[in-house]
Amino acid sequence: MSIESFAQTLVFGVFVGGIYGIAAMGLALVFGVLKMLNIAHGELLMLGGYATFWAFRTFGLDPFLSLGIAIPVLFLIGLLLDRTIYRHIVRQLGEEKIKNSLLVSFGLTLVIQNLAIWLFTADERTVQVNYTGGGLNLFGVAFPYARLISLAIALITTLVLSYFLHRTYPGKAILGTAEDFEAAELAGINIHRVYMMTFALGASLAAIAGTLVTVIYGISPSIGIVWTLKSLIVIVLAGTGSILGAFPAGILLGVVEAVSGAFIGSTYREVVGLVIFVLVLILRPEGLFARK
Amino acid sequence: MAQRPFKQVMTGQQTFIDSLRRWLIPFGVVLLILFAVIYPQQIDKQNIWNLFFLICLHTTLSQSWNILAGFAGQTSLGHAAFFGIGAFVTRTLWLDETPFSLAFIAGGLAAAAFAMLIGAPTFRLRGAYFAIGTLGVAEVLRITVSQNVPFISSMPGPLMASYELAPRYYLALGLAIATTGAAYLLLRSPWSLGILAVREDEGAAQAMGVHVLRHKLLALALSSFFAGLAGGVFAFQQISYYPSAPFSALWTFDALLIAFVGGLGTLAGPVIGAIFFILVRQQLAVTLVEIHQVVFGIFFIVIVLVFPGGLVEAWRHLRRVRWPKRTT
Amino acid sequence: MTKFLDVHGINASYGDIPALMDVSLKVNEGEIIALIGPNGAGKTTLMRVIAGLHQPISGTVKLGETTLHTLAAYQIVEEGMILVPEGRRLFGGLSVLDNLELGAYARRARESRFRTLKRVFEVFPLLAERQNQRANTLSGGQQQMLAIGRALMGLPKLLLLDEPSLGLAPMIVENIFDVVKLMNNQGVTIFLVEQNAHQALELANRAYILEQGRIVGKGTGMELLHNHEVQQAYLGLAPAAN
Repeated sequence: MSIESFAQTLVFGVFVGGIYGIAAMGLALVFGVLKMLNIAHGELLMLGGYATFWAFRTFGLDPFLSLGIAIPVLFLIGLLLDRTIYRHIVRQLGEEKIKNSLLVSFGLTLVIQNLAIWLFTADERTVQVNYTGGGLNLFGVAFPYARLISLAIALITTLVLSYFLHRTYPGKAILGTAEDFEAAELAGINIHRVYMMTFALGASLAAIAGTLVTVIYGISPSIGIVWTLKSLIVIVLAGTGSILGAFPAGILLGVVEAVSGAFIGSTYREVVGLVIFVLVLILRPEGLFARK
Repeated sequence: MAQRPFKQVMTGQQTFIDSLRRWLIPFGVVLLILFAVIYPQQIDKQNIWNLFFLICLHTTLSQSWNILAGFAGQTSLGHAAFFGIGAFVTRTLWLDETPFSLAFIAGGLAAAAFAMLIGAPTFRLRGAYFAIGTLGVAEVLRITVSQNVPFISSMPGPLMASYELAPRYYLALGLAIATTGAAYLLLRSPWSLGILAVREDEGAAQAMGVHVLRHKLLALALSSFFAGLAGGVFAFQQISYYPSAPFSALWTFDALLIAFVGGLGTLAGPVIGAIFFILVRQQLAVTLVEIHQVVFGIFFIVIVLVFPGGLVEAWRHLRRVRWPKRTT
Repeated sequence: MTKFLDVHGINASYGDIPALMDVSLKVNEGEIIALIGPNGAGKTTLMRVIAGLHQPISGTVKLGETTLHTLAAYQIVEEGMILVPEGRRLFGGLSVLDNLELGAYARRARESRFRTLKRVFEVFPLLAERQNQRANTLSGGQQQMLAIGRALMGLPKLLLLDEPSLGLAPMIVENIFDVVKLMNNQGVTIFLVEQNAHQALELANRAYILEQGRIVGKGTGMELLHNHEVQQAYLGLAPAAN
């Protein structure tokens, strides 16, 4: 394999890893703060993608700009889901809570996915813009514009999220709630509002990921489960307490997949991620980037 | 005239009602089985054979899942792996001139063998991690099969010629009865207390001297064996299909849905759930294709939130309210 | 107008296990009240009930005219009653400064939080020195100070302290009780749960004794300190020779 094609593989691995990272961060946020596993996260991602597709088709809006529509829509959906469904589970404790959230979100997956099939048909949709196909070429390695912009958006989102969580008052309240929700209540923090906002924030991150997926790959109602699984893999790699660590873990997964795809063949590329996932779960459950 | 003490009189009457109640359930079961045996034969229409077949197949799948998740409390999302392995092994052997009965058993055993192999390591995971870990394992199998054996498996000419639905249905029915019977015997066995203890509180069970891993593995062995046999039935019945299809997580999700809706941890749950699920699906599939899934999804969410015990718990709750049981 | 804490007829349990039975007590404004009793008596449970973390089966908790037992914990903080829980319960991964800042999250304390922070740093200069350190890198005593500081950031009218001296060296315990006295002098009413019965009784105006979920005794700090039974049970003094 030449240096160039290896570099190309790496670069594409980073590109897709950026999307993995954003997708996983939404799930990690909900898991870290609400201590619930939202299996329907991939469905939210899918809905975000469709919001973008619809905005593109109806208004001719550039898909990256239609984040301005996708994000608020998914934010509202997130608020709604928390208010109607997840609110009842968040009061439970420990393992029961995680298990029940898994089950409920599984039910939601069925509902959302099949509603999507009914509304949008099962066909795959794509988005074509005038810069699709164009790109930079550095040292013989291709950097398509669409993917560059996606990675940039992913990076900016991560930085904004980091700033929000670590440097703003409400962000710190979220982090505090994640560490110890009773202590947070005792500090006067309305944890129910924190839970609701955090869930909506997670949905917004899913919307961003969904938009990027739509631009790069196209969208169909069945992609939800695939992306949920990817996000789960990344979360386990990053360590389940880590929210921002999901981003580098996503890049890592992307690169590992791309490189093993190049060497073992693309048929096993999907399997590699899953195998690593199962191994990490069993051998090092606190994840690769664990803090304590 | 000596007066019998009041208490004795009451007890006498109640014993009679009790024994009536006690015979009601086995009698009902026998009736159900007789119905299942006779009715399709009498009607002899293909869609009825298919309907009943599906009910039996899903009963087996969800009952076998129930053994692991309902009785032992291990919520696995990798059930389709056993279904898939059973189907794969059975189909491969059967299409390769092996008599079906051998291929069938081999499928079940292969699934159980695989389960025992991954059992010990995966049981180190708890709760949600166990769930997603088993899902990961099942997906690995599915993708591996789908990449390595991508071509449709079709029934060859001579087997097609002798194809009959009836024996396939009765095999499925027999398997459903056997699986439920095995679950029943498990609950009556000396292992049952240990398994249920593991479900309630692993730590406490261990402290009481229950060998937790061994009990989990027992439940897993039964669960995977019957799921594998179900896969064999699937391989027997399907004329052509993609070998990776039975590995799809959708089979796990159906089993899960049925067990929950019917009543997780009960014997009747998977049976009632399967009947309900297939009948409703048939009805709804006539109108809007995907709506039945939406309906079940909503049903499922409501059950997890409100009635974790499913239809069986709802029924018991109703009974307790309308016919209060006398307490001794 | 004396705003005071009125706990009346509290019954609480953990599942089927009863923890508090018909517990009643009063705290008057400006007082220091101590609650002593053996391990497992239910002292922490009572604190959690008062602070809104645990639902009682029956009974009432009122602060002045306001009914507290129907409110959520964060709303109780808004009313001016703040608990420093047992075991500190800091936000370990966040900095000292962040922990303190979050203590002022309630609406009534939020606006003036930077002013309050200055005052807290005056009381705990150690925290000022380490403000950018992560909370879980502090020593036990420093963490307790941070926990109290965080509570003070909420501008409490009534401060609840659950076992503030637990696991700390005697000198640090002295410091903490000094701070408690200081706060009380500045107008904060104090309700204190303590294993360290001696110091608690010395400090307190009045005290209650909780045993097996019931109030079994009460009196002024001095009265209880000199009570023989209390001395034997909680102050480690041998029974009198005669």
